[in-house]
Amino acid sequence: MIITNNLTKKYSEHIALDKLKLVVEEGEIYCLLGANGAGKTTTINLLLGFLKPTSGRAMINGLNVGDNPKATKQFLAYIPENLMLYPSLTAVENLDYFSGIAGKKLTTKELRQFLEEAGLQSNAFTKRISTFSKGMRQKVGIAIALAKDAKVLLLDEPTSGLDPKASNEFGQLLQKLRSRGVATLMATHDLFRAKEVATHIGIMKNGVLMKELVAKDISLSVLEQAYLDTMNYKESVL
Amino acid sequence: MYRLLFLQFLRSRAVLASLFLILVLGGISIGIGHQFLSQKKTAINQVEKYQQGHIQRNVDLHKDDLGLLMYYVKFAFINRPNNLAGVSMGQSDINPNVQRITIKNLEGQRYDNDLTNPMNLQSGNLDLSFVLIYLFPLLIIVFTFNLLSEETETGTWRLVSIQTTSKVRYLLIKLSVRVLLIYSALLLLLASAKIILSIALDMNYLMMALLAFFYVAFWFALCFFIISFKRDSGFNALLLLSIWLVLLILLPAGINAYVTNKYPVPEALSTMISQRDGYHTKWDTDKVATLKKFYEHYPQFKEFGYPIEGFNWTWYYAMQQMGDDESAEDTRAFRQKMTERETTSKQLSAFLPNMHLQLAFNDLAGTSLSEHLHFLDATGDFHEELRLFFYPKIFKELSGDTIDWTKFDPKYWNDATDNKGNIEYIWPLAIATIIMLAGCIVISRRFH
Repeated sequence: MIITNNLTKKYSEHIALDKLKLVVEEGEIYCLLGANGAGKTTTINLLLGFLKPTSGRAMINGLNVGDNPKATKQFLAYIPENLMLYPSLTAVENLDYFSGIAGKKLTTKELRQFLEEAGLQSNAFTKRISTFSKGMRQKVGIAIALAKDAKVLLLDEPTSGLDPKASNEFGQLLQKLRSRGVATLMATHDLFRAKEVATHIGIMKNGVLMKELVAKDISLSVLEQAYLDTMNYKESVL
Repeated sequence: MYRLLFLQFLRSRAVLASLFLILVLGGISIGIGHQFLSQKKTAINQVEKYQQGHIQRNVDLHKDDLGLLMYYVKFAFINRPNNLAGVSMGQSDINPNVQRITIKNLEGQRYDNDLTNPMNLQSGNLDLSFVLIYLFPLLIIVFTFNLLSEETETGTWRLVSIQTTSKVRYLLIKLSVRVLLIYSALLLLLASAKIILSIALDMNYLMMALLAFFYVAFWFALCFFIISFKRDSGFNALLLLSIWLVLLILLPAGINAYVTNKYPVPEALSTMISQRDGYHTKWDTDKVATLKKFYEHYPQFKEFGYPIEGFNWTWYYAMQQMGDDESAEDTRAFRQKMTERETTSKQLSAFLPNMHLQLAFNDLAGTSLSEHLHFLDATGDFHEELRLFFYPKIFKELSGDTIDWTKFDPKYWNDATDNKGNIEYIWPLAIATIIMLAGCIVISRRFH
């Protein structure tokens, strides 16, 4: 479960994130939409503990990230826009490597199982990552999250640059994780994908969460209109 | 986990090439050491074979005139090289291990040397100590400078830092892979040197290995300290190479310049001149005055009186003796200053791990300056023994046949100061390593 309570990040005078209040329950996928500089990545970085909040709290599974950086990491999995793995290692070896770092000792059978679950073709298991497309790397990233048995998944524009098929497969994987009770927060520009996979959608502008929508209650065109309205909302009104 | 860390590291061609290169260079350096020892041993063997023949030839020619015979006969005094000299040649490439001396003026013979190709001396010797002291730090730098920065630059660090609960522990595990590889290469080279150079498994060898262990640990600690500042790969590489340059080239050169200037040795020239003058001017000096001085030095020979008519060997060897006596002060000053040079160098090297290691290696291998000075002292004692044995026989004008020449096989120097597996060699390196490790502990808090 993810909770942010008045989470704020300032860089001298610039406010990157302003009093963000957000809740992502188990089995929910929350998509944060917004233009560049809206505060999506800042939110994720604060939840990951990469940034220290100026004020407010970021909570993972009931623990304050700032106070319990090590403990919260145990629940977290993270896939950035461009997931970088070790190019000289194979998919199985990368999964074994990152699971090993997280303290998990997995058998080869288990490793292959996770990769299979993540949708990677079996003939790619023993190929070096240097030969992988971005979509294939993202699948290994999902496998790392699965192997870690993460309760919270943070995604920073994971479908950016993926072809429609790969993007669709990625969406299906997120649904699979959702069914396992994983709380997912995804920053994205992709309205279609957000409508497709999310349970909840938040639209951000200039560090402020402007609108929150329940995905099943709206159509894609309504979402698109809400997004454009938010983007066109005048600064002075804010 | 370790298997994967090794795999990940060893799948880099640059890493494999670096390891291969250091092992090849190490192998070549051991080969050079072997060749060096072989040359020394061959020279000693030839001297051993040659000595009796040389004496016999001269006895056959001059047995009726012992004074003349002793003018020609040379006696070998040998400093048998420790096989560790093949690892650390030190100054033994220019300092002879064999002194072949007559009973004439010692100072004129003491610094006689083998002919050496100056071009070879200029380029220096690639011995294992050079590989260890100069090239291993470079390899350690190559292996560690991007330990962290590579991850941040390629983008894997964010995922790593989410997966691991201790970034420092992760980095230390990564570092340990490099440590294991470097120590394996070091052990392989030391073991190869031991076998190929037939080095005895004694305290000197073990101390050398221990010193090398600490030296490598020092460089790893230094590299980890620098990379802990979390700067980019370019900065780390530049800074570490600059440190290498300062520690291994600039500071030793500076210390050498300082020591040379602080303890100049004009006596090197003045000794030669005074010993030559001491002897040559006596040809035109009153013989009685020369003999009087000689008897002041050796009152036990006064009984041989003051023969002044024509040429006689008593007066001739008294003249020779004057060369040594009149240059004795310069010789003593030269010896003193050379000792002071080495003492000062050793004191300063306590703050410079590479220099300390080089001097300690030379000490352990018996190739240091002080070792050679001791050998020269012992040569003086050997020369004095010969004089005291032959002077009365020459002065009594005995025949060469009256002497049992078979007793005059080459004599070997027994270094009484050969207690070099001294634990004190460890401290400067151990302290430098501990300081660097303490720095690492302090700086690694930045990761929390």
